[in-house]
Amino acid sequence: MLDYAEPVTKLIDELQKMPGVGAKSAQRLAFHILRAEREETDRLIEAIQEVKDKIIFCSTCNNITDVDPCRYCTSPGRDRRAILIVEEPYNLVTIEKTREYRGLYHVLHGALSPIRGIGPDQLKIKNLFERLRVEEVEEIILATNPNTEGEATANYLTKLLKPLGMRITRIAMGVPVGSDLEYADEVTMHKALTNRIEL
Amino acid sequence: MLLTRIEASGFRNLEGFAQFGSGLNIFYGDNAQGKTNWLEAIYILGNTKSFRTSQLRECIAFDQQQAVLRGETLRGSTTKQIQLLIAEDSKQLFINGKREALTRYLGNLDVFAFSLEEMDVIRGEPGQRRRFIDRGAVAVSPRFLNTLSRYNQVIKQKNRLLGEASQSDNPAQYISQVEAWNEQLVELGAAIHDQRASYVERMNQVLDQNDHGRAIFGAERITVRYRSQLEGKGDLDNYADLFGERLALRLTAEIAAGHSLIGPHRDDLEIMSDGREVSRYGSAGQQRSALLLLDLAQVSIYNSIYEESPVLLIDDIDAELDRGRIEALLSELEGRAQTFVSTSRRAIANRYRDRAQTHRVERGQAVRETGSYDGVFVGAGFDNDAIDQADDGSMSKPTAG
Repeated sequence: MLDYAEPVTKLIDELQKMPGVGAKSAQRLAFHILRAEREETDRLIEAIQEVKDKIIFCSTCNNITDVDPCRYCTSPGRDRRAILIVEEPYNLVTIEKTREYRGLYHVLHGALSPIRGIGPDQLKIKNLFERLRVEEVEEIILATNPNTEGEATANYLTKLLKPLGMRITRIAMGVPVGSDLEYADEVTMHKALTNRIEL
Repeated sequence: MLLTRIEASGFRNLEGFAQFGSGLNIFYGDNAQGKTNWLEAIYILGNTKSFRTSQLRECIAFDQQQAVLRGETLRGSTTKQIQLLIAEDSKQLFINGKREALTRYLGNLDVFAFSLEEMDVIRGEPGQRRRFIDRGAVAVSPRFLNTLSRYNQVIKQKNRLLGEASQSDNPAQYISQVEAWNEQLVELGAAIHDQRASYVERMNQVLDQNDHGRAIFGAERITVRYRSQLEGKGDLDNYADLFGERLALRLTAEIAAGHSLIGPHRDDLEIMSDGREVSRYGSAGQQRSALLLLDLAQVSIYNSIYEESPVLLIDDIDAELDRGRIEALLSELEGRAQTFVSTSRRAIANRYRDRAQTHRVERGQAVRETGSYDGVFVGAGFDNDAIDQADDGSMSKPTAG
């Protein structure tokens, strides 16, 4: 026999498929939905449907968008001479929030990871080269994550891009702001020292 | 640093808690009662790893979901509660009730252990010796753990990639991917090589100065040497460049082999007694002495860096050492490190009763005995006041005899 009536069990099962949601959280969410006003749950259903119906990937930069090409790619206010490469759309949002960068983006949708079966073919690298053929790009900024997979991806892309002759830069890496030097490991500290800046 | 108290629940067969003195602490009792389990609990509480198993979940008691170790440490006049929770496939660390990351947790209770299992450092695979150096190096520089774990991640990724490449019809297409991982390997590998080499160098200095230790354990001069796989291939003082060159040179060989062939994960430590390899030429007794001297050297290095003592565990002390060596060792450690030993011999517990805290272990419970000659128990380990009164601090001090 099931612990709950079948529709409830089904909902819990579905919720549990979400990342970061375990059995207990799934149960809590299910009961929240169960007790919520009809209106509220309808809005949730609608939001989910809308995302699935309307959100597509930009054919130029692979960012998520509701128009193709996306607003970043078509905005006249952006500097078309620079492309900043990130792993995920939410990395783009993080950078955009700083309002420091006014160039274009390219989203890879992942990073190299042989263990998880992700090679160059699983990443959106091909259409980056198509872009570089038609657009006059002067600088590529590699903003993949500062972990082993992001580093490998940046190293790999550098090898492919170097022969094209544009400027290739990597976001600075080293001691995190607001942290303590004590907690930086040798390699991070080494990076922070080699990439130190003149004041 | 001192461990003043430990409490275990759901951990192997242990039950209740035990309180400790600042000097020598002895667990004694019959076999299979839990003596080594108490030592292991102390080791895991400090290092978050076991000296007996690589699978922490094996420590969870048969009928339990999780094991919890709770300890109280004393440093100067500061006490800290540290806690480690072991679940089926995770562990959680707490300091003063607050969850903490591994790098912040480590260093609150540094524990070195001498046990039968550790003899693999002498006799076993090179990996055992690399881990021995790494444990010592991490204790004096906890952030080194980060470098090690990132290196291991990169090696895993690279091995997977090389495995794929070796099976492929067109292995050449993998070259630039392998190179992308190699770049990180060079950086991390150089950090590991340099850290290990300088730790081993330091160890040699300590071994060289330890005339006292030599006097105890016989006349042999123990020396160690970090043996890089790249020895004889170029300038090891500039490891990063050398490693990079070798990786480039061996790229196709690595692709053909399907796994990585070079790097500090292939290095070794040479342990010599009067210039001869202990693993090959030493008797069992010489091997034990050598290992003990290495352990003591680690304690010394730790001492010289932190100006305080780590905790030292010696499992089954009478199986490892004869009476004279036990006596010499324990007086050598007097005042240098809080020491925990286990023994099945009541005679040993009796002999040191006047300067040690002895805990009789029976069915997982550690029952503390007083230092008094009549051997009357003070409660069953639950009567805090009685224990505090009995502990006038004199037990940890040496007395004649």
